[in-house]
Formats: sequence, C-alpha cells, structure tokens
Amino acid sequence: MRLNYLLLIILFSISTNFVFGQVKDIKNHITLSGAWAIYPTAVAWAEAFQKKYPGVKIDISAGGAGKGASDAIAGLADIGMVSREPDPAEIHKGVFPIYILDDAVFPVINEKNPAIKHILKKGIKKQALIDLYIKKKIKRWDQLIDSNLNKAIHVYTRSDSCGAAASWANFLDRKKQEDLRGVGIYGDPGILEAVRRDPLGIGYSNFSFIFTREGTVIKGIKLLPIDSNENGFVDSDEIYNSRKEALKAVYAGRYPAIRKNYFFVKGKPEGLAKEFIKFALSDEGTKIAEKVGLGIPLGKKEREQVLKSLE
Amino acid sequence: MISRKIKDTLTQKLMFSFCILVISLAIMMISGLYIKAEPILEMKSIRELLFSLVWHPYRGNFGLAGFIAGTLWVTIIAMSMAVPVSILTALYLSEYAPKKLRETLNTIIDILAGISPVIYGVWGLIVIVPFVRDYFMPLFSNNLNFFPFISNNYTGFSALTAGIVLAVMVSPLIISLVNEVLKTVPLEIREASLSLGANKWETIKYVVLKKSWTGIIAAIILGLSRAFGETIAVLMVAGCALNEIPNSIFDTAYPLSALIANTYGEMMSIPLYDSAVFLAAFILLLITAIFNIIGWGILIHSERVEP
Repeated sequence: MRLNYLLLIILFSISTNFVFGQVKDIKNHITLSGAWAIYPTAVAWAEAFQKKYPGVKIDISAGGAGKGASDAIAGLADIGMVSREPDPAEIHKGVFPIYILDDAVFPVINEKNPAIKHILKKGIKKQALIDLYIKKKIKRWDQLIDSNLNKAIHVYTRSDSCGAAASWANFLDRKKQEDLRGVGIYGDPGILEAVRRDPLGIGYSNFSFIFTREGTVIKGIKLLPIDSNENGFVDSDEIYNSRKEALKAVYAGRYPAIRKNYFFVKGKPEGLAKEFIKFALSDEGTKIAEKVGLGIPLGKKEREQVLKSLE
Repeated sequence: MISRKIKDTLTQKLMFSFCILVISLAIMMISGLYIKAEPILEMKSIRELLFSLVWHPYRGNFGLAGFIAGTLWVTIIAMSMAVPVSILTALYLSEYAPKKLRETLNTIIDILAGISPVIYGVWGLIVIVPFVRDYFMPLFSNNLNFFPFISNNYTGFSALTAGIVLAVMVSPLIISLVNEVLKTVPLEIREASLSLGANKWETIKYVVLKKSWTGIIAAIILGLSRAFGETIAVLMVAGCALNEIPNSIFDTAYPLSALIANTYGEMMSIPLYDSAVFLAAFILLLITAIFNIIGWGILIHSERVEP
C-alpha cells in the first residue's frame, strides 16, 4: 500500500516536471524546437556554442516543422526550426524567418532500370517531370524519355508532409505537396528503399539521404539527371555521381531543386538567440554544418545578407 | 480506531478522484478535438467535408471522403481475413486441441498480440509488399479481371497489403478474446449435447456457438476498432496516395489515421490545415467510440439475458 502511494507520488512529480519544467532562467538559456531535418545541425551548433560560452544552456527538441513554427509563434521556443517556406498565415502572426541552411532534393531512379543507359545519356526535361508528377499526362517510360521502354512508370512520392515534397512540388511548377501524384511512402529512407527495389520506380529524396558516408550514391540508386539547359542530352555538369559533385553544383547555383531551411523567431531576434543565430551563420558555424553534412551551409554572400537583415 | 477510518475514507476519496480524472480525460479529449475542429466546421458544410474527394488545404479543399473510404477499405479487407481465421483458430484451440498444444499456442498468440505495430509495419514493408507485387497482383489481374481486382497500381503498396498486415495484427487479439468467451461456456452443456449423440462439430455449431455468439461479436468489434485506429503499420504499407478513392483491393488507400500522423507535426501552425486534421481525428474518435459502445452493449446485453 505504502509502496503504491510512493509510486503514485513519484509518477505525479515526474509528470509535473514535464509540464512545468520549461520555466527556467531566461538570461542564459534558449530553446529550439522543430524540424527533424535541421535538428542534427542545430545540436552540433549548440554544442560548439555552449563550449564557447560556458554557462549558456541550449535545449533542442525535434517534432516537425509545424511544431517549430507554432512553438515560435506561441513563445514556447525562442527559435523554431522550419524546413519549408514560411506560410503567409505564419508571417501574419509575427514570425521573422531567418534563412539558415540549404537543402537540395534530387530525383532518383533504380540502377537496374531497363533504359538506364539511355536515361543517363539524355536526361530528363523539367516539363516531362511536371507532366509526370503534376499533370498526370505521362504514364509510361517511353513517354517520359524518348526510348522503347513501353512500361508503366511507378511513381513514388512522400506520404508525410515534409520539406522535401514541398520543395519538389515548388520546383515543379510552383505547386504544393498535395498536387504531387504517386504512391505515398513514409520518410526519405522509405522512398529510397522503394525505388531501390523497383526497377521501374521513380522518386525523389533529400540530399543528405542519397549519399553514403564515403560520399557516393547509395547502392542500387542512380540520380536522375535533369536536363536544365534543355539541349537534349546530359552535360557533364548535369550529372552527379558523388556528394562532392552535387554540392559543387548546388554552390554554383546550377542545381535547380533547392530548398531553404529557416529559423523562425517571433519578432526580430534579440539577445542570446541573436548571438546563436549569428554563430550559426559565422565561418565557424558553416564549418560545423559542413561536418554534420545533413544540410548544405549557405554561401558567404548569402550569409552576409542574412546577417545584415538581423540588424 | 479512528485513524483506520480516516485511512479508509482517504483511500476511497483518492481512488474516486483518480476515477473522475480518468473519465474527465476522455471528455477533455472529445471536447478538445471538437473545439479545435470547429473553425473548419464553421467554414465548410459537413456534407462537403465528409463527401468531397479533393484534399488540397492550400486551395481550401478539405474533402475527407478519400480518407474515410481508405479507412473502410483497409478495415474491411483486414476483418474479412482476420475474423474467419481467428474464430476457427479459437474454436480449434478451445474444443479440439490437446492441452499441451493449446498452452503453447496460447503463449505464442499472447506474444503476437503484444508486438508493437511498427514491427508489423516493417515486416509488411519487407515481406508483404514484394509478395503482393510479385505474386498476388499478377495472379489476380491476369485471371480475375473484374471488381474489386482491377487496378493499374503495380507497386505492392496497396489496400490489400495494409489489410493483410492489419489482419495479422488484430488476429491474436480476436483469438484470445474469443478464447475467453468460449471458456465461459459451461462444460456440462457440452457433455449434455455429446451424450445426446451429437458429434463434436454439431456440439460446437448448436451449443457452443449458440451460447457464445454475442461474446464473439463483441470480440470482433473490439478487434475492428483496433484495426480502425491502427496507424503506423498501415501508414508504412498502404501507399498513401492523395485524391484517389480505392476502386480495387490493389489500389492505394489513405486511411484517416495515416493522414493525421503524416501531416500533423508539419502543419499544425497553419490554422485551417490544423483544424481539418483535428476534424479527421474527431471523426476517427467518434467511429471508434461508437464501435466500442456497440461491442460492450452486446456483451452486457448477453450477460443480462443469460445469467
């Protein structure tokens, strides 16, 4: 009996801790909350920041871009991490979005696609991707790519709301995730696995999930080259076989399907939050983000622009 | 003496307040969901919300029909596989199986009932999806070219796949519930039936099932509401494609629960989107609650009629 009481009391106090635990000393403490895509990079930034300024405490939790945005709006977090473009409704509620990281979305196909050689030589035009994903006009491979592969295309898309799908739809004709057709699969790893198992499959994925630790494209998958200049075949700077080549194209502004990641702050950032954002955008912060490798740090010019907008 | 009395009253009060807390949680949940869903109910008619197919929140289309249809397809497929298998298994276990086998199988079934859904989901992804794609779909689309087998989806992510995974998930639950129900049938009436010359199957048909059918229906309904709300396992294999109503067991399906899991975290800061997802949750809660109430109603009724 007494033991039961004790257990109840312990349980109760633990749960209240969760409820009221967020009230803490504000001066040297900031909280971040939001997108999974930014979380690992933010953690690395926070670690370095805390090392640099002992006594500062940074709490980071992940729970999706929407949680980041609503936490920032409600004042539950100092910084919301959001891996998609801000919605007008969010700006209206007083959000100040800060462009913090880049990410890129790449279309992928199976290595064993029967027309793989042809595809890698000719590439794919953006309009063909629009007809496939948005307009639903294209159903077979020979319609997508001028070849004699008379088979249905197995189109995969993301089922969960995510920055990758949002920016893929935005890249194709400025649409929303809800406009994309295809069989919905959960998560980046899921969609890559589905394409890896399906020779007739096509999908898209975030930059960071496509490459192995060594920087090569994961086994069984090929990046589908986009024929950006529409000259009918793939130029050497339109095909990427490694992380390095892909990054180079992104930095040079040649790769089109880029997505911006944001920090949401309510009103202009001040105090410690501002310092933290400045740190993330510094040379040091850029190096940390590069090392984490899950997002693509901004170029120097862009960083300076963002820093200027903070003042 | 007095301290004992005080202790008694105190414990009673404490238990009572916890009881109230639990009940009020349910009420809080229902009302909370409703309050959050209200903005969308004010803007759109219920008819449009329930029967429109188009889901495109940014354009102001909040049709939930596709998701409701997806939930129904997946659940119906799952139940039509799970129910016969579960009842026959339970009957075998309680009426025919030797004691040792029964005990081993019951343990295995209890273990199966306790496995977390995400494991069923992963298993579905690596086993059932390729199986459906490589064997089921070609077999059916070549030989049975009529409803509900015609489909142009060849990916293996389908309502059927989700149904199979769900059936495997809810079967252990239904089996153990039916088992419990069958245990309540007194041995004496079985003996009476057998002594009148009925064989085992006749005894089951005319005595055991007759006595326990209400309990079995309740067990099925409890399994059904589990299937209704199951999210993660279904989400991983159903091939959630938007703005399509499944016309075939091989089409993709997008159940309500998957919609909530897929969009909530990302979209909760966009007012009407958020509200529409809450409405989906509210509908799911209502349907599950109704099925549960029916299930318990039948159980209680049967207990009253046959003491």
